[in-house]
Amino acid sequence: MATQASPPTHRASIPVTQPRYVGQDTPRVEDPLLLTGRAEYGDNIRLHGMLHMAVLRSPHARARIVRVDASKAEKLPGVVAVLTPDDVKRWSRPIFGIPEGWTGHATSIDTTHWAGEPVCAVAATDRYVAEDALELIEVEYEPLDPVIDPLKAAEGGPTVLEGKDSNVPFSRKFTFGDVDAAFSEADVVVKERFRWHRSSGNPIETCVCIAQWEPITNQLTLRGSHRSPHLVLPGVVASLGLSPNQIRIFTSPLGGSFGTKTFIRYVVLTALLARKTGGRPVKWTEDRIEHLVGNATHAWDRYQDCELALKSDGTFTGLRMRVVDDWGASTEWLAGGMLVKPIISFSGCYKIPAFEYDCSGVLTNKVAQGPYRGFGLPSHYWMLDQLVDIAADRVGLDRTEIRRRNFIHRDEFPYTLASGNIYDSGDYEGGLDQLLEKGGYAELLKEQEQARGEGRLMGISVVTSIEPGLTNTPMLALLSPNIFTRTASPEGISVRMDMFGKMVAEVGFPMGGQSQYTFVRQVLADYFGLAPDDIQVVVMDSQTMPPGTGPISSRMAIALSGAVMGAAKQLSEKFKRVAASMLEASVDDVELLDGQFRVRGVPDKALPVARVAQFMLAFPDRLPEGVDGNPSATYVWNPPEPGLVDEQGRARYSVTASGAVHLCMLEVDRGTGQVQILKYVMVDDCGVRLNPSVVRGQLQGGVAHGVGNALLEEYVYDDNGQNVTSTYMDYLLPSIHDVPLTEEHPMSTPSPFTELGVKGIGEAAIHTTPAAILCAINDALQPLGVRITEAPATPLRIWQAINQGEH
Amino acid sequence: MKPARFDYYDPRTFEEGVEVLASAGTESKVMAGGQSLMPLMNMRLVRPAVVVDINRVEGASYVKPWEGGVAVGATTRQRSLEWDGLVAERLPILQTAARHIGHTQIRSRGTICGSIAHADPAAELPALALALDAEMEVQSKRGKRTVAAADFFVDYLTTSLEPDEILVETRFRGSPARMAWAFLEVSRRHGDFAMVGIVAGLALEPRGNAISDARLTYFGVSGTPVRCREVEVALTGQQPGEDAFASAAADIQPLLDPSDDVHASAAYRRSVAGVLTQRALTQAWRQLQKEV
Repeated sequence: MATQASPPTHRASIPVTQPRYVGQDTPRVEDPLLLTGRAEYGDNIRLHGMLHMAVLRSPHARARIVRVDASKAEKLPGVVAVLTPDDVKRWSRPIFGIPEGWTGHATSIDTTHWAGEPVCAVAATDRYVAEDALELIEVEYEPLDPVIDPLKAAEGGPTVLEGKDSNVPFSRKFTFGDVDAAFSEADVVVKERFRWHRSSGNPIETCVCIAQWEPITNQLTLRGSHRSPHLVLPGVVASLGLSPNQIRIFTSPLGGSFGTKTFIRYVVLTALLARKTGGRPVKWTEDRIEHLVGNATHAWDRYQDCELALKSDGTFTGLRMRVVDDWGASTEWLAGGMLVKPIISFSGCYKIPAFEYDCSGVLTNKVAQGPYRGFGLPSHYWMLDQLVDIAADRVGLDRTEIRRRNFIHRDEFPYTLASGNIYDSGDYEGGLDQLLEKGGYAELLKEQEQARGEGRLMGISVVTSIEPGLTNTPMLALLSPNIFTRTASPEGISVRMDMFGKMVAEVGFPMGGQSQYTFVRQVLADYFGLAPDDIQVVVMDSQTMPPGTGPISSRMAIALSGAVMGAAKQLSEKFKRVAASMLEASVDDVELLDGQFRVRGVPDKALPVARVAQFMLAFPDRLPEGVDGNPSATYVWNPPEPGLVDEQGRARYSVTASGAVHLCMLEVDRGTGQVQILKYVMVDDCGVRLNPSVVRGQLQGGVAHGVGNALLEEYVYDDNGQNVTSTYMDYLLPSIHDVPLTEEHPMSTPSPFTELGVKGIGEAAIHTTPAAILCAINDALQPLGVRITEAPATPLRIWQAINQGEH
Repeated sequence: MKPARFDYYDPRTFEEGVEVLASAGTESKVMAGGQSLMPLMNMRLVRPAVVVDINRVEGASYVKPWEGGVAVGATTRQRSLEWDGLVAERLPILQTAARHIGHTQIRSRGTICGSIAHADPAAELPALALALDAEMEVQSKRGKRTVAAADFFVDYLTTSLEPDEILVETRFRGSPARMAWAFLEVSRRHGDFAMVGIVAGLALEPRGNAISDARLTYFGVSGTPVRCREVEVALTGQQPGEDAFASAAADIQPLLDPSDDVHASAAYRRSVAGVLTQRALTQAWRQLQKEV
């Protein structure tokens, strides 16, 4: 094994008799501003002299650009600058992406790569004029046959990117354990082919970038809906060739992200256009069609062949998956990580000693992929749990029983997978027991039997998943060993107390809907005996923030609790030395409890924390030797023992593993193929819950994403490479009518690897809900002997399955 | 997503409005609720040189009694179908169907006449107009004329309205005596345009053993809403029940001319139209049995 799990060495605790905020449904500090629209979102920003950007997009999926003439557009009153492919080629390098060398520039240069790719950009006094100007730009295209089918594109033929001899940036077979033996010695092998269509994150707020290029000093200032300056900065540096300290990135509160708010291509494009405006700032507010068609947000467009080997008693012995992922036109940003992420939790909640993952990312003339909540795992768990259902039927075991027999047992944690990753803690059987009892599983089966007797198609599923919390950079080394040679995944915070005992906490990511600012306040309030309102959380800019990463990969509860606890501890140690001198006691005899420094054994000798901070600020001359008059501390947290990836692809990839068991009951309309969800119950274990209502919100929101992926959301490209789902009339998001009100039953196996025992839950139910719904549909269809193997399971697809041979 | 440049007029009377339309020629558009027109303009798929906004025309929003049914004005909002007492009393099918039109916000802006004039073949109101033998009063500088629903819908998003005309009133005829109605639609989500929809009416002879009248109107299955009069006639005189409804369901399918789109295939639409026929007629029949 590449790495071994070590027992917990350090469990920080909050110095409080009984926490008043941590673990409680403390109201979210984010809600009043975000929900009333009083937050200053990126699009609300108005700067002096600000111009508006509109983007001319290629109408062709693949075409040679013969001629670009922007002279008429430049003459339109109100137009200040037009950025052309020549400018982009002169002033920038291709968009950052891994594997490196497989991306185009911010606009097409000689050839277009997808219908919707930027070709030119206009800066004008308002967006109306800018869009008028787009119509005056003359571009002569010579259309070429587009590359549409990834299975054919992988074999050869024309290439999406010029100068390449293939359309396959990444292809690798990972083998862990003796897979061939597992299959040759198996009593039963079940297999199926699955298709998972493109879907993506759709926040209410689209992407916003405001760029200002100071012409004399070449300083670039960026504002907008950047979810993490830490993530944006390297991408901008890579394309524009500026040094990081020439760039300053400010972020605004986010109206949602789901992974979409890095948008490197458009940050670079806006910056390049701003280089032509003589210092006037340029704003790009993405419109909804641009978000659906033109931004690298699409995810998981997969063709998947899977097989599971087992013994006749139901014991799983091997798992094979072969996946081709249609990556679109480039390997933009970190999207390729979504293809390899399954190896982190390949066997889910089950013990499978040997598995093989043969995965390829293939380029086609469609928009590139981008990160999306779930980061490549939801389709994986659907395949896995669907195979488990098929296997149970084949060996004649109840579907819950076969899972029970193969679960990693509660005594086996920390558990090391064949791929080297370590699950921190869990009790999957306990979760299943609770789910079946609270969900009334036995009764539901009777109801189903009765419904089937009446000829109704009712289905029930019980499925599982693992949500990895905080996946480390070694995963990205699989795609780009030259760039990702580090193990760091830092999150930093600075805290300081003022004269009045109030605190400011400085973080490196903007306020969003995920409640991180609330967590910071909860932990600091309990630590120093304050109220949450005594603590302000503020976001710094890229030049002032501590090292960090930002809100990705279900990491913030883990990373931020580590960072806040670290900073609080440092600050309290500093305070303790001052308090000891004020109390005329030895430092070793002083302790912090419930917001007061006390001398052990002398109950009446106590100092509130605020008094200590006041003293530090007011009497620097009376402080003990080596203590300065600065009541503040900065701490940068990093994950424990991440290690690097080995030659076989093994590593300790993530910090926590949240186990989930979901039950779904639904009915399929035999005549129309429509699905009605009747009951949805979950047991989700994310360890210690810092704020239970926030966890419930994440779970319910994750279910909504799951419903979308299972039933509704799909980007469709026609044979010419045109995205025919360019509005919300065709790309269908679930509404309140479509998402069930779920029952949620908490359970907790605290993580031994994190401060406070938390585990990641930010991506949550999107891992589990697609499998729950799709497996339930197939259970409903079972009496007809047919099966859905394509997601989303639209009424048409279900109707086609029921009426075999009809189209 | 910003519209191309256009001239904007907001007349206080229809006379002023048709004056503008007469001089603008074919490059004009009438706007009421704007629920269909504005997105099309923002995407620059529609680029009128002149927009005549009739929202400020006085006295154009009303529901009033007409021939056992109701007449609605050019700016009467779809939401009023849900609230209006006269609609509830005379044509409850309009009230039932209105809940399928978009969402509350859309119905609060969108107008009944606007949806009919836009003539999306998958929309509810054109089908209701056809099912209820509605007539449309249209006005231009040349005067007023009345068009029957059967002559109004020409093709996909196309009506017999001339470019200089405004649809000023839609009159839904009252339901025939003792007719029970059913409204069913299959859409991807609640509030979406229908993949397939049906407005069905059924009336029985006084003794209840024979069908005296039937209405079958479909939407989402052709370039316009479709009324299947031959199947209506074929049902008349038959004994109500599963057999009659099943044969109607089979009979209507070849009469429809659905197409493929991203949500459903033509074959799906045809098949589901049959399923809905049977369900809607059964539902109407049950309602009649309850009333007896």
